[in-house]
Amino acid sequence: MKGFDPVTLATPFFIITVILEIVLARFGALKAQYETKDTAVSLTMGLVSSVAGLLTAGASFAAAMWIYQHRLFTIPMTAIWAWILVFLLEDMTYYWFHRLSHERRFWWAAHVNHHSSQHYNLSTALRQTWTGGLAGTWALWLPLSLIGFPPAMVLIQKGVSLVYQYWIHTEAIRRLPRPIEAVFNTPSHHRVHHARNPRYLDRNYAGILIIWDRMFGTFQPELDEEACRYGLVHNLGTFNIVRVAFHEWIGMAQDIARQPRHILGWLFGAPGWTPDGSRDTSAKLKAEWAARQAATESEREAA
Amino acid sequence: MTRRRGRGQVPRVNSAYLIQLAVSAVAVGLMIGLAAWATRGRGAPPLDEATARRWLADEFPGREVESLWIATDGLGALAKSGDRALILTRVGDGYAARQIDWSKALAARAQDGRVRIALADVTAPKAVLALGVWPPKELAA
Repeated sequence: MKGFDPVTLATPFFIITVILEIVLARFGALKAQYETKDTAVSLTMGLVSSVAGLLTAGASFAAAMWIYQHRLFTIPMTAIWAWILVFLLEDMTYYWFHRLSHERRFWWAAHVNHHSSQHYNLSTALRQTWTGGLAGTWALWLPLSLIGFPPAMVLIQKGVSLVYQYWIHTEAIRRLPRPIEAVFNTPSHHRVHHARNPRYLDRNYAGILIIWDRMFGTFQPELDEEACRYGLVHNLGTFNIVRVAFHEWIGMAQDIARQPRHILGWLFGAPGWTPDGSRDTSAKLKAEWAARQAATESEREAA
Repeated sequence: MTRRRGRGQVPRVNSAYLIQLAVSAVAVGLMIGLAAWATRGRGAPPLDEATARRWLADEFPGREVESLWIATDGLGALAKSGDRALILTRVGDGYAARQIDWSKALAARAQDGRVRIALADVTAPKAVLALGVWPPKELAA
């Protein structure tokens, strides 16, 4: 297991499948939409994120090793039951990490760039954060080392999860057989997650298993009558990669500088939170959408 | 995508890592080139009124468009909706939408047929729209 990194091993697969998706879409053999500047931003974000990750990877791994020295149990890396258990616990941890990254602005600032493309294709999967390590969400995985999973085992499982989530960033696969859609995160479920339609906002946080969304009330199936529109609630007006990477951090800093007494709200409120409610949060957009739906419904009934 | 880690190891930069990074960078360049080739001649058409209205309806649901001006180069539009200005600017083959006070949009001035409107937004600092004469004669004070 020494030196085993699923992400590194999968990199040639990432490259080959992006090339295939572009070429096959060009000849109409599958559904995928690419735009040159958008693709350039996504792929460059991915490349630089692998370097940026190095800045904090040492510290996060050292923290995991320290915690592991104070572990409650000793879990063998060679046992199959241990891998099944770490698969489930890591995937549930990912769900909560991902939910936190959408529902609190400080962590959204690190995650937002992954959602900033108006396209949904395999290159979008590689549009990864540069500031995730600094946001400190790696700490959410430390309890696994405290339980007794070796840090290398947790890292491998995190890599497996990342590789799994790559292939679901596509419009080329419509729906998979029902038993698979019921249990696993699929392209259909993840399209909903990347959609900016109010009905779809803040849904389907799953990594590998969609069961967590079903359990914790955040599941939303993709509906034939409502096509996904991708990107952010307020889409970026630029392809400047520095703005793509840091815009939410800059916006947050500007808000704090302007109204420092609301610092906790600016940092840990929902994205879009303001003291006077003048901006759009997901909850506000969903409520407005629901009100419009209800009004349309009653008009239809009256007619 | 080029980190190498193992049991008891922290990630480290060595020659293998640098080679891996360089190969990844070349692959990224290749994929961008391929995307440019695949989308050549398939850019979004210039914005027309029907498309602009559809975008505005999606972006600002419930807002009524009183007047609409489409940029002459088809790269954006500006609409009046009550005391708000609704602005669309082309980004790639899509659009970014923002709204500001109508008075601020009206105060913008045209230079060489282009109106520069400050949006005060780090993700879309300004809109540059080829609207010709601005403000329109019927609205100019």
